[in-house]
Amino acid sequence: MYKGLLVALASLWLAGCVDTNWRTAETHEIMPPLDFSLVDENGQAVEAEDYAGKVTLVYFGYTFCPDVCPITLARLAGTLNRLDDDVRDDIQVLFITVDPARDTPEVVKRYTGAFGDEFVGITGERSEIDALTNRMRVTYEYETPNKRGDYIVNHTSAVFAFDREGEARFLIRDSHPITDAVADINQLVTES
Amino acid sequence: MAINLFTTSRRWAGGLLVALLTTGYVYGQDLQVSDARASLLPGEQPGAGYFELYNAGDKAVVLVGADSDAFETVELHVSAEQDGMAHMHAVEQVEIAPGERFAFAPKGHHLMLIGREKALSVGDEVDVQLEFADNQRLSVTFDVVSPVSL
Repeated sequence: MYKGLLVALASLWLAGCVDTNWRTAETHEIMPPLDFSLVDENGQAVEAEDYAGKVTLVYFGYTFCPDVCPITLARLAGTLNRLDDDVRDDIQVLFITVDPARDTPEVVKRYTGAFGDEFVGITGERSEIDALTNRMRVTYEYETPNKRGDYIVNHTSAVFAFDREGEARFLIRDSHPITDAVADINQLVTES
Repeated sequence: MAINLFTTSRRWAGGLLVALLTTGYVYGQDLQVSDARASLLPGEQPGAGYFELYNAGDKAVVLVGADSDAFETVELHVSAEQDGMAHMHAVEQVEIAPGERFAFAPKGHHLMLIGREKALSVGDEVDVQLEFADNQRLSVTFDVVSPVSL
């Protein structure tokens, strides 16, 4: 039985179907490469290819989120702080809003600026954001506005890691220890 | 009309006096708040208030709301993760049993601090009134902190 399992694993490996043994969750098999046409925090139209060359970490959120989003970004900033400077230079974090009506380029720029130079705010047309989230099979949903017109957006809580070519590699959940995220990001940056 | 107003304000004043006296007695000793921090986000974005409540008394206390001169609105909220999705919703009240601690902490219960009435900086302090069932209030001073420090 073990022999059969080994053969199966070996053939998978040879076929290139087994990604690196990440401590976080592997996504290469289940998620397409990063692909979008959005607007960056300076109001410039950008495409996923513009971010090729560096390891890209993607987080979907919105700036009206007082708790989960800033805490996740702060945790990510803390994770990046544990990496060597030359490794960090090869990483960018895209904070892609799922609430473009409130999150203009100026708003996302000011927001991401609180977390570090690696953090870039991205907004754009709702239809383009939907195209991206549908492709990545991640979801978000708006709740009914309150009397002030404020509304909550429920959104995916993971951080998605893409390699320098924009290939999906792994995702980091809240439940993953920071040490695991540090190890995997470090490996992804240094593998190429 | 004038008489009614006068009567109303006298009643108010009396009620306020009672409230002040009982607040000082009941919650000064029996309800302790520690580690009160308010995260300051850039621009007009709402922040979150975190703290720990300890009910040292022998009766349950029920937190029903919060208010502050520093913000337009303060709401009780809770964040939760379900099937990989981050959810947030308002909560009506939080009950703390005698002898229990209850933490308002990142990615859980928090105060949502909406609409700054004046400019705030990291290192400032803001006062927030916690409101309890039975009309008790407790004034808590929050340290204004950067979200990166949480």
